[in-house]
Amino acid sequence: MKRLAAAAALVLCSTVVQAQTFTHRGFAEGRFLAFPQTTVTDGTRAIADGLLREEVFVTPPTWAWLQFAAGLDLRGNSHDQVENAIDIGDRSLRRPSVSIRRLSATVNYGRFTADIGKQFIRWARADVINPIDRFAPRNYLNVVDTEFLPVSGVRPSVQIGNETLEAVWTWHLTPSRMPLLDQRWTTLPPEAAGISIEDAGSRFPARGQVGARWRHTGGRVEWGLSLFDGFTHHPHVQATPIMPPVVPPGPVPDANEGDGASEETPDDPDASNGDAVITNIEITRTFPRLRMYAVDTAIPTRWLTFKAEWAYFAPPDHALRSYTLFVLEVERQLGEWLLTGGYAGETNAESAPPLAFDPERAIAPAFVGRASYTVDPRRTIAVEFAARQNGDGQYFKGDYSHAIRQRWRATVTAIVLSGSNDDFLGQFDRNSHLTTALRFSF
Amino acid sequence: MSRVLYVVAVAAALLTSAGAAENAQQIVDEAQRRVTTKSERYEGLLESFNASGKKTSEKRWTFLRIGAHGQSKSIIRFTAPAEVRGVALLIVNRADRASDQWMWTPALARDRRIALQDRSTRFFGTDFSFEDLEEREAAQYTHQLLGEESVAGAAAWKIEAVPKPTRSSQYAKQHVWIRKDNYAIVRIDSFVKEQVVRQLEMSDVRQVGGIWTAHDTMMTDHQRRTRTRLRLDKVEYNLPMNDDDFTVQALRRQ
Repeated sequence: MKRLAAAAALVLCSTVVQAQTFTHRGFAEGRFLAFPQTTVTDGTRAIADGLLREEVFVTPPTWAWLQFAAGLDLRGNSHDQVENAIDIGDRSLRRPSVSIRRLSATVNYGRFTADIGKQFIRWARADVINPIDRFAPRNYLNVVDTEFLPVSGVRPSVQIGNETLEAVWTWHLTPSRMPLLDQRWTTLPPEAAGISIEDAGSRFPARGQVGARWRHTGGRVEWGLSLFDGFTHHPHVQATPIMPPVVPPGPVPDANEGDGASEETPDDPDASNGDAVITNIEITRTFPRLRMYAVDTAIPTRWLTFKAEWAYFAPPDHALRSYTLFVLEVERQLGEWLLTGGYAGETNAESAPPLAFDPERAIAPAFVGRASYTVDPRRTIAVEFAARQNGDGQYFKGDYSHAIRQRWRATVTAIVLSGSNDDFLGQFDRNSHLTTALRFSF
Repeated sequence: MSRVLYVVAVAAALLTSAGAAENAQQIVDEAQRRVTTKSERYEGLLESFNASGKKTSEKRWTFLRIGAHGQSKSIIRFTAPAEVRGVALLIVNRADRASDQWMWTPALARDRRIALQDRSTRFFGTDFSFEDLEEREAAQYTHQLLGEESVAGAAAWKIEAVPKPTRSSQYAKQHVWIRKDNYAIVRIDSFVKEQVVRQLEMSDVRQVGGIWTAHDTMMTDHQRRTRTRLRLDKVEYNLPMNDDDFTVQALRRQ
């Protein structure tokens, strides 16, 4: 993999020298997050985060059918969410300080296009929850402020008229990055108090993933059919209790010695551990196989645009049960307002493994919505919400963004979470926070 | 000598056209015919000004079009400022209804169907609405000649254009000024009820490849008292273009 990256970088560098078409974009951003409350696992209330991102696109002078793209992220964080490493596979538990965001070549010949390398692959049709987006893992170190992660693979596609047929093969799984165990977005049940959790890492599958998609665009109805055979990028957590060591056999103490507190005999191992309290748990992340069959549609009408995604998941592992996830959404542009509302649902929800970190499953069924308003070319306001159907959890986000001159943008975001502790959203009710961000684009 | 002949021929053609323009519909049809091209490319600069005349934002893009009027497809690809660089908009114009539009946002790495039930929505917060950026299809309006006026020193026909019932529009009517010497549209006043809400003024009209083209366009929003200027640079017509480059799939090519 490293050799491939080096070769691609070499090709890219040699191309830059003689390139006619060269474009780039990038930004430097500083963010400050303030949490009014502490949690059991995390006493930190203020977090600073820095990101420098640069992406370049190069088309060789005589090969207009070929384009190279490369992107690099440099990060820093005050709360140990970044590790000092160069990460190409995006499999680390923390975000790497140096990350290859993109390294790909795009071949375009008439109706045929192929993207090869590290890239972003999005199948999403809806805007709030996207069950069909199987090649789009995310960074969930902050569960309500996520970022997509790139995947490494090949994506050929053919477009004929309004029809596009696309295939995807990724040579390894890029997992979603779940919250860190010692930070506020990991909540533990009260019974876990006093138990030490040891992270045994992740067990990644050896094989790659494949997918295919047929998409119809244009006209009065758009739709897509998607197939996926791979693995869930949301980790399932295997928790293994570590029992205290068995008391080694030894001489039976004299009944007259000591205080006679133990009546047990060392020949009975059960007796020696029968009342033992579990003080350590070892956790391992696994990524079970998953197959998906999905349809999606967008129907623009005179009054509303309907968008829907419906995905049936059939895990080949018989220990896991099949389920469906769907989202129904309507959208309406009204002057400078863009209004979106919808419902995310799940069938066979009770089949969800108890220790799977899968926010899309966990949030359904829920009502979701978003409204944004363009004040003028510089300023936008947006609010969004998610409310669990049973009323046990709510999420609200308000966002104000202001461009300053041509290159600067300041954004203030308030996030409020509330609900009961046994609800996916409600468990984060001490994680409401305020974020201020300042970005310089270049 | 050949130059003199050319001038005479052009003058004769104009006189013939003017003579033939017995009604407003003919004038508008002729104006449309003269700007009908197979394709177009330009680099645009969009500047917004607030009520006190201070420039508040500036955006640059490249514009590509293939086909004409109700059959055309366009791609607007933003090149500046840096925060919107790479954002692209695909517009597929329809003769019988509002255009279909998709937007590619690099930060999200996805395309998105744009809901355009309300074409009065301002384009990226500027004074141009999405409807203002659509190509005018003469057949979708009923025209009436109101008279003749001078616009920036040039004689022009003043024509009222009322959208036909099949054409949904935010405007009740528009007044269009068409220069008599070259059939270039130089001003459009757009009305809601009987009040002018937007005024579009075109200037710096120059010939490009035989097409009279306004290189400077100023839109004034009379309700907000703000203005947006669109300047065209490097305008080219009838370039060889490929239909495959005007697709949703092509949007994601940077």
